[in-house]
Amino acid sequence: MSDMTELDKPIEVDNELRNEIRRISQHSRARRATVSKVMIALCAVALVVSAVPLVLLILQLLEKGIPVIDKTFFTTLPSTPSLIAPNATGGVSNAIVGSIALSLYASVLAIPLGVLVGVYLAETETKLASSLRVIAQTMAGAPSILMGLFAFSFVVRDLNIGFTAIAGSFALAVLMLPVIVISTEIAVRGVPNTLREAGLALGAKSHTVSLRVVLPAAVSGIVTGSILAISRAVGETAPVLLVIGGGFTNSWKPFDPVSALPLTIFENAKSEWPSQRAQVWGVALVLVAFIFVLSLSARMWASRKQQVRN
Amino acid sequence: MSLVPAELVVQDEREAVAEYNSATVERSWYHYVLLAGAILFAAVSVGFVGTIFWSSLPTWLHHAGTLLGGKGWVSPAGPFGGLAMIAGTLETSLIALVLAVIIGLGTSVAIVYLIPKRLRNVVATLVELLAAVPSIVYGLWGLLILAPWMESTVNPWLNKWPFATAIFGSPGKEFGTSLLLASIVLGIMILPTFVAISREVIAVVPQDLIEASLSLGATRWQVIRGVVLPTAKIGLFGATFLALARATGETVAVALVAGGVANAQFHLLYPGTSIAAWIALTFGEAQGNEIAALMALGVLLMLLNFGFSLVSRWMVRRQRLVLERV
Repeated sequence: MSDMTELDKPIEVDNELRNEIRRISQHSRARRATVSKVMIALCAVALVVSAVPLVLLILQLLEKGIPVIDKTFFTTLPSTPSLIAPNATGGVSNAIVGSIALSLYASVLAIPLGVLVGVYLAETETKLASSLRVIAQTMAGAPSILMGLFAFSFVVRDLNIGFTAIAGSFALAVLMLPVIVISTEIAVRGVPNTLREAGLALGAKSHTVSLRVVLPAAVSGIVTGSILAISRAVGETAPVLLVIGGGFTNSWKPFDPVSALPLTIFENAKSEWPSQRAQVWGVALVLVAFIFVLSLSARMWASRKQQVRN
Repeated sequence: MSLVPAELVVQDEREAVAEYNSATVERSWYHYVLLAGAILFAAVSVGFVGTIFWSSLPTWLHHAGTLLGGKGWVSPAGPFGGLAMIAGTLETSLIALVLAVIIGLGTSVAIVYLIPKRLRNVVATLVELLAAVPSIVYGLWGLLILAPWMESTVNPWLNKWPFATAIFGSPGKEFGTSLLLASIVLGIMILPTFVAISREVIAVVPQDLIEASLSLGATRWQVIRGVVLPTAKIGLFGATFLALARATGETVAVALVAGGVANAQFHLLYPGTSIAAWIALTFGEAQGNEIAALMALGVLLMLLNFGFSLVSRWMVRRQRLVLERV
């Protein structure tokens, strides 16, 4: 109570001092406000600066890509321009077929195993599980060229399979695996425990609950993760560069050499023929469009499922 | 896949789920199927590290010194010196990191505090879509659009500054495709990675800290500098290291825009190369010892990358602990 009375006393300040204090505080406040405005403006500038190259990239991709895409682009095999026919680039059907085949085989290799491991990580708490979790997270960020080195050493050389689609799919599968494992684990953990408990309370065995209750509930997350993994794999150049052999035919066979869209870009970007350098923009546009469609549809599908559940 | 590490996403249901599962899942056939999958995955990852290391063994046994410190790379007979690639990797990644962190921090702050809430999800989706653009496309853009522009406009301009020759190299000897262009392209590429995490880390700084500071009369910038950034510090370092891990491992974009010359030099406008880019550029023609040397470069790359991403994850985990304590 005595404090209150202390505070209640009027403070005696002489006017000069009060004005001085007010002046300084206003000055400091004005300065702080200016600094704040400048710094916030700089942040806005940073936002614009970071957007500019990305917007430019997309615009130039559209501007240069659209003119070179026509029917023959999709349906014919590539040909090498010559002095007589400097514009005879042909199409890139081999790369389109190759890219689809590679991601198909890679999915077949990676998705079942990835889902198994993801469920294992979510449903058990062993030492193996926690070290696999760290391994999956580390592998998910590993440089993709290393997958190429692995596929070369193991599939091409040690198994003596040669430069084939299956070697490329193996590299891409190793790339996709950790992504699928992580997203499956998150999806399975996201299933409410009440669902599991309801199943167990009805007398179902735990594997029945896991297979018939938990997995169906987690399936949208698993599918989303798998699609995103595919969309990442389809754009990767480095792993397939070393092992698929760059075939010039429309081959679906796993033991044939194939080409791929990113590989075509890598090889033709430095071409001496202007027509081939121009065509590369079309390949890049098709690739980016394909990846955007894949990841956007995965995202939309996931959010719609989420709404249905809610 | 979301760019946010699993640590930020996985809920704490882990123990609860595991508790009753370990009692019931074990000993059924289902458990053994899962276990078999897990063991296969472990085998794949051990094979991944083991095969690359095994293939590089001849180089480590006989030419380790040359690989780590040698200057020339002579195909196909050797010697295979890795100094140019190691220096190029560190040089380009660090410059790219400085660019990406400065611009990325501002961008994250702007996304969290300046953009209206309704637009924030749109921006986040855009950032993630841009992170999904394959690196080869950035490389193509850098090679066909940026490189000519660097050559005609940027390089002459940079050379007007004092000490330019010391940093950038002699005028007339530089190229459009250079270490500097590689750094810029890398910076643009790792920017979405950095922003995705730093945005997340900044957004979860507790609101009451911010309000307390505002109520004391702090301006917006003082709140950001004095409260938000210090609270988010460790997580931001985590994002930085993740971006660094990405930058060191980036392959084809650097292969296209760095010039692809194995010169151990530090002038930014001269062509150079990085470990990953050099593997991509030379592996197709390589035989015998050169393959082993490239595999050894791959081992170095793996060590760098795994090191950076372990540090990054450790930091993001520490950040969660910091937030729990606040």
